[in-house]
Amino acid sequence: MKRIILYIMFFALLIVVLTACAMRTAERPRTSGHPALSEQEMLIACQDCHAQATPQTYRQWHQSGHGMATVKCYQCHGTFEGLRTEPSLDSCAVCHSGQWEHAEGQTCWQCHPAHTFEAGK
Amino acid sequence: MDRRDFIKRTAALTAASYVGINLPHGLGNLAQGADAETWVAGTCRLCGVGCRLELGLSKGKPVALRGIADSRTNLGYLCMKGTLFYQLIGHPDRLTQPLYRARKDQPFQAISWEQALDIAAREFAGAVKAHGNDSVAYYGSGQCLTEETYLFQKVMRGGLQTNNVEGNPRLCMASAVGGYLSSFGADEPIGSYADIEKAECFFLIGSNMAEAHPVVFRRLLKRKRENPAVKVINADPRISPTSRLADLHLQFRPGTDLALLNAMAWVILEEKLHDPAFIDDYCVFKAGKGDTIDLAAFRASLDAYTPEKTAAICGGNITPGVIRTAARWFARSAGTMSLWCMGINQRRQGVWANNLIHNLHLLTGQLCKPGADSFSLTGQPNACGGVREGGGLCHILPGHRPVVKDALRHQVEDAWGIPRGRIPAKPGLHTMAMFQGVNEGKVKAIWINCTSPAQSLPNADLYRKGLRRDDVFVLCTDIFPTRTTELANLILPTAFHFEKTGVYGCTERRSQLTPKAVDAPGQAKPEVWIVREWAQRLAKELGDPVIARTVEPFAGLEPDAALPEAIWNEYTQKLTGGRDNDLRGATYKVLRQMPDGVQWPAPTEAYALTGGTVRKFVRGLDPIADEEAKGSDKPFIFYGPAHADRKLYIWQRKYVGAAEEPDQDYPVYLSNGRIVDHWHTSSMTGRIPALMRANPYAYIEINPKDAARLGIAPNDMVEVESRRGKTTFPAKVIEGPMEGMVFVYWHDMDEERMINKVTMDAYDPGSKEPEFKISACRIRRVSGPKALKPFIVKL
Repeated sequence: MKRIILYIMFFALLIVVLTACAMRTAERPRTSGHPALSEQEMLIACQDCHAQATPQTYRQWHQSGHGMATVKCYQCHGTFEGLRTEPSLDSCAVCHSGQWEHAEGQTCWQCHPAHTFEAGK
Repeated sequence: MDRRDFIKRTAALTAASYVGINLPHGLGNLAQGADAETWVAGTCRLCGVGCRLELGLSKGKPVALRGIADSRTNLGYLCMKGTLFYQLIGHPDRLTQPLYRARKDQPFQAISWEQALDIAAREFAGAVKAHGNDSVAYYGSGQCLTEETYLFQKVMRGGLQTNNVEGNPRLCMASAVGGYLSSFGADEPIGSYADIEKAECFFLIGSNMAEAHPVVFRRLLKRKRENPAVKVINADPRISPTSRLADLHLQFRPGTDLALLNAMAWVILEEKLHDPAFIDDYCVFKAGKGDTIDLAAFRASLDAYTPEKTAAICGGNITPGVIRTAARWFARSAGTMSLWCMGINQRRQGVWANNLIHNLHLLTGQLCKPGADSFSLTGQPNACGGVREGGGLCHILPGHRPVVKDALRHQVEDAWGIPRGRIPAKPGLHTMAMFQGVNEGKVKAIWINCTSPAQSLPNADLYRKGLRRDDVFVLCTDIFPTRTTELANLILPTAFHFEKTGVYGCTERRSQLTPKAVDAPGQAKPEVWIVREWAQRLAKELGDPVIARTVEPFAGLEPDAALPEAIWNEYTQKLTGGRDNDLRGATYKVLRQMPDGVQWPAPTEAYALTGGTVRKFVRGLDPIADEEAKGSDKPFIFYGPAHADRKLYIWQRKYVGAAEEPDQDYPVYLSNGRIVDHWHTSSMTGRIPALMRANPYAYIEINPKDAARLGIAPNDMVEVESRRGKTTFPAKVIEGPMEGMVFVYWHDMDEERMINKVTMDAYDPGSKEPEFKISACRIRRVSGPKALKPFIVKL
């Protein structure tokens, strides 16, 4: 009898947990390719997770002129809801409008590798 | 999703960013900023750098901002705040109609402008009749346009006959003003940002410019990366993002920088790194309140600050060796530029700390030549132009005129066409005395314009008590609800940047025009219109035609362009001629033509069209220096109004610690400052979703050794308690503040996270600027991590 009660309790708990998880997932908005985040997770700065999730990219950015000058992820890629995996060139234009002629029809990152932004290839 | 899954998925996502070349744009619309059809040039609304930018409009609505590449302030760069503040124009939280309540426990009621202006006039006039002229006060902001500050102070002084005219620059720049006046005889920097590209050594002290002035920092970064031999010294008790640029980081116990600066002077003299010719030609040594001493006496006074003695005072990583290295780099470079901000100014000995930085430049002749300057950074966009130059503090009139000087006061009265004697000779209440006056019920009506003292004053709870009094009428003009509008009787909605026209004067003596580009929402109005209409009603209430005379020249002018231009013309043409901030050439006509405004002195339009004066006091570069040379064979003429002897003063200033040092009960140093994503009390940046998300609440930074000792893990909730109050923050365990010190971001307006409930309200005896940057506290872990929500005051 004890074993039956334990089984019942276990399955009841399982149902509660799964229901909670399903609700939690349903509450999480999704966007272009980024894993779903809860409202609370969205309040974590991009670089705080990406230092661990994508350490090479983080290091490249951190050591770059952008990283040194506190130009942050969201200034090029947007925030969670409006994430642009590949930035719009408009976001570059905010600061680098003077460089468009020099670009000669290419994107910035064709010559200045994304995140390191070293001198042109 | 577990962490492994997260890493896997984000790694794939990031890899994709290297691949795609599928451009959403052809080059034809590059740099067009979304769908903007037209671009209107103006100046950034936020910090004191003065970045020039363009507001992009689509169908008349603001959709983007971008930097102006031709601008000599920002060279096209903007920070995230400068990129995004267009979102505040038409923001749903904007105040759009006048709101009133007779008692502060009542809800606000919407009223008409007619009613609002009548109430404002009745309350201020009533206070004057019942309690005298000094029972009313104006507390403004370094964010107001010059035209606004000028007109407010004109009505208060010339109309209501009180010098109770103050502004929040008292909280940030007053010590820099005191330092410039007492060392150089003239306020504001001698050089310009242009010196950055010429400097061979940077001495950064008390400034986290990477976050507080990110665009100027970017110029330093570029200079250093392109010229690795350039030396960067960063002196700060906290390792900050600015420190990443440093070749040498001097980390000292908070408040001991006065000793450190004296020790550098000692090394300069001991090792004969000084410039005897510059000293002989231009400097005198001063002690006490101005007694002249000689070099030997000055040198002897520094014997208390040998590198060995000073290392023991400073603690941290300070050794005799690093002091000598810093002094040698400073003195030997072809051009050394010092930059500092609130770490120096917001101190009980802020003026002295400024003097000691200037001393290093005077001893070594690191001044008035390319790449050499003693350059105070400014926190707000118009603290210099509007408040320091426009007469926005209790002791100064427009054009850098001390109110106590009869002749200068009469010049102003004559220019305004009001009787001599109308402006009181006695300075009014400085900021801390003004809010103490509110607490004591001596100030009966206060107009708070474009700032939130309920959050930004130190020891804020003490001063919020006064603002809550029902016998003190509180009027706020603002664009958003704040911690201060919560305590108001009357809230008047104002136009925001680009919704009105006017001039900002930034850190480097540069005045720049921002024109109206869009209509203000609802019934919001430009402040210049509000003051004019209020003054006309005040004149009737008090039966005093002289009050009406203060706004008579502006009667009937439309408020969007003609009114601010008329005010600017009166100020510049009547009150800056013959003064060091001569702006007569910087007319609206000229300012409209310039990509980046004009640096004063600029006496004529023809000269202003060259851009103005890049370096003050240098013959051939400064028209006033040329005019004042009068047969002198020297290249520099120091004509500053505060030093009749035309000398620069090297001050003997002893090391004095903080007003409140840690002790047994409160054993930890508390400091605070900005983070890059937010500005001031976050009433603006907190309403821009990207910025709020980037830094949703304030943290407390704790040194890992202290955290280990106190059992504090990252994100644990930590209580900070001082003798004045307590607050609680999530912990960031980081090699930032030195051991025995914590650092808190000050922007958060959540009641539980407002650090100014804890900070110290002692102030500098000369500048009256409070010592925000140092107080004593104790900290303790109260819980593990807690889910927090960002907070913004709503109506």
